[in-house]
Amino acid sequence: METHDHDHPMASDEPMPSYYEIMEIAVRELLIEKKLIGPGEIRRQIEVLDSRTPALGAKVVARAWVDPEFRTRLLANGRTACEEFGISIYDDTRLIVLENTDKVHNLIVCTLCSCYPRPVLGLPPDWYKAKPYRARAVKEPRAVLEEFGTHIPEDVEIRVSDSTAMVRYLVLPQRPAGTEDLSEEQLAALVTRDAMIGVVQVKL
Amino acid sequence: MNHSEDLLKRLPNDIGGLSTDRVQQTDHVLLPWEKRCHALADVLDFHKIINTEEKRRGVEALGAEMMNSLTYYERWIAAFSVILFQKQILVPDELARKMAEVEARYAREPAL
Repeated sequence: METHDHDHPMASDEPMPSYYEIMEIAVRELLIEKKLIGPGEIRRQIEVLDSRTPALGAKVVARAWVDPEFRTRLLANGRTACEEFGISIYDDTRLIVLENTDKVHNLIVCTLCSCYPRPVLGLPPDWYKAKPYRARAVKEPRAVLEEFGTHIPEDVEIRVSDSTAMVRYLVLPQRPAGTEDLSEEQLAALVTRDAMIGVVQVKL
Repeated sequence: MNHSEDLLKRLPNDIGGLSTDRVQQTDHVLLPWEKRCHALADVLDFHKIINTEEKRRGVEALGAEMMNSLTYYERWIAAFSVILFQKQILVPDELARKMAEVEARYAREPAL
């Protein structure tokens, strides 16, 4: 990917690229030829994308569970708290962390497209980007949650937050009972991607 | 509300609140070109060439029929191309020639 004239990201034993893959290669090479983007930038950004997984978000959640001061800072400003934790928010977005409590359960969605807290969770699953979740999460969140096997009691309010290009959300799930003796690392291992989207709860 | 009013009030991306099928918990590992396409989107945003909202509107501007026919990253690269034409960063003929060149390059090196 460093040179534009013989760029073969796919090895030559791969089949002929599709029409759209050819378009992607062509657009990228033209932008590099015009010096609008640097020759190594795509590869470097792929490395950034590969470094972002739900394990990062899980570490943030576990820290918030064990460190009340960090939790306060995280809820006040998700972006700066994550940066303090060593997670760069590589895009120009605001991060709002939504805390689940005994009275409120949060769920995140992007009805218009697929906005997602990528710097802390990586890329979203396909179902998050697909029509049924986007359409129904804001209208019948309890029914959607049931489809994920999550039952939220009627007396718990469900708040659905709709992401935008500039504002992303992350759910801070409730720490499960019976985890008082677990280390921060053991707690982080319990926290799943889906719990930070809000479609499931963290279970011991 | 008649059909045309409905179309006007709900652009293709504006699906929040519609009644649809059950959520199928689908996922897939991105193909290498899909991941490159994602990285391209980020790099275009970093350089303030195409930002996230322009990309979203560019996908929407493809229209419902094309959006339904293309996969997620196919929509993205199609939208990037159109937006780059609109911004006069690329011209269609230039992209067509480059795509032919890329295709010929792969055709010269057939599968081993």
